[in-house]
Amino acid sequence: MIVIEKKAWRDTLRWLIPLVLIPAVVALGALVFPQKRHLLVSLGVAGLSLLLFLCGFERRLTGSRRLVLAAVLIALCVTGRMLPLIKPVTAIIILAGMYLGCETGFLVGSMAAILSNFTFGQGPWTAFQMLAWGMIGLVAGWLHAPLKKSRLFLMIYGGLCGVLYSLVMDVWTVLWYDGGFRWSLYLSAMTAALPHTLLYCASNLVFLWFLAKPVGRKLERVRRKYGV
Amino acid sequence: MRTFADFHPVAQAAYFAAAAGVAMFSMDPVVLALSLAGAVGLCALTGGLGSLRWQGGMLLLFLVLAALNPLTHHDGVTVLLVVNHRPITLEACLYGLSAAGMVVGMVYWFRGFSQVMTSDRLLVLLGGLSPRLSLVVSMALRYVPLFGRQWKKTQQTQRALGLYREENSMDRCRAGLRVFSIMTTWALENGVITADSMTARGYGLGCRSHFRKVSFGLHDGLLTGLSLLLAALALWGARSIAYYPRLLAAPMTLRHWTGYAAYGALMILPHIIQGKEALAWRWWNSNR
Repeated sequence: MIVIEKKAWRDTLRWLIPLVLIPAVVALGALVFPQKRHLLVSLGVAGLSLLLFLCGFERRLTGSRRLVLAAVLIALCVTGRMLPLIKPVTAIIILAGMYLGCETGFLVGSMAAILSNFTFGQGPWTAFQMLAWGMIGLVAGWLHAPLKKSRLFLMIYGGLCGVLYSLVMDVWTVLWYDGGFRWSLYLSAMTAALPHTLLYCASNLVFLWFLAKPVGRKLERVRRKYGV
Repeated sequence: MRTFADFHPVAQAAYFAAAAGVAMFSMDPVVLALSLAGAVGLCALTGGLGSLRWQGGMLLLFLVLAALNPLTHHDGVTVLLVVNHRPITLEACLYGLSAAGMVVGMVYWFRGFSQVMTSDRLLVLLGGLSPRLSLVVSMALRYVPLFGRQWKKTQQTQRALGLYREENSMDRCRAGLRVFSIMTTWALENGVITADSMTARGYGLGCRSHFRKVSFGLHDGLLTGLSLLLAALALWGARSIAYYPRLLAAPMTLRHWTGYAAYGALMILPHIIQGKEALAWRWWNSNR
């Protein structure tokens, strides 16, 4: 999987972003603006770290099959987000990371966020959503061996992802409203979002419980049959 | 007739980044009011203003957000009234109004953005960065309605076979998961077959052609340059404003007037473009 074609660009960006650009954005936010603009700074950092991940993707000689499988999983996420109440999105992203590697997991998570937001409303929150779901897929790729082995661990990871996703989005809500961070507002946002958080966790657990085995088997089979 | 929606995606993205970016930087009520008006105007221009009910929802959001700040924040020296031994201050009310204006303005900006930046135009933007990523995105976009149709077909087949029971919610849940599982198998197989078919037809051998030809012309360059210039002017002329402990704004100078004028011009830029085109069209029709 590769996103930025030119190797020279990738290599330059890979050291430029963490060493120069992100510190520059943070310093600019702290020093230049009279009122602290946490929202802008965190938006900038979120966007830059997305770019950094994309730079890390190296060329793999697997042809177009891998690309198309990623597209299929993204589309399944987008379609799944249209189900009422419980959403299989996070579960599919975790499975994509587990069975197709961390890069594909990250790509599926971040692209599912941006594409489904064409239906659910784009906003400055899209960058945070892309980062949150992308990270869920990436970490699932790193932890693929224990996740495949133990169902309990998979359940714990799924539940944790639901909580963490909600907490990240609450940080975003507070920053968006206030331009700064206040614990009192964060706490009230968290309590207001509690039903949603529980719903996220529950739907992750339900879908992982029922889907992990069959969908995992299918992904494994496709991988072995077609040598992706 | 070349409307605002017909410009090159890069030029449109530059306009939106400039217009919404300045409003994000500013806590100045004048700039925020201009931004809100401009965003609503742009939505109206592109035909994406939405239903009256949606506007009502936005108004409600504005009111709730404006009321939230004075209720949670008690700084400021001008006390209006005391509720539960907590002062409600004028400064907190004003800050709440500004913050609510910014949030609602952003919602309208993004609404206008997704009106103008349809998925095929987004692909043009992405294609410049990476053709492979744009391929993944375009395939995923094509799969979404396809999966919706296939879902219905699978469901009907299961129903006809008598495997889809809907007596209680547990049954419905189980049946839904079953259809989902079938869909996944079908989608993965279908995807691999599509990939093989693409390879067989020579995908990835050389340059690709596009469904829609877009070229970056002089007017696109003008829109991009003008947007960035006006945004830079607006930032240069930004007025520093402190809400706490007392509302304090820098006195108006020529620089601040320039900033306001530049941002105002940025807001009506799409209307000027559209108006000029409409006039040219009428002139051309009447002189034929």
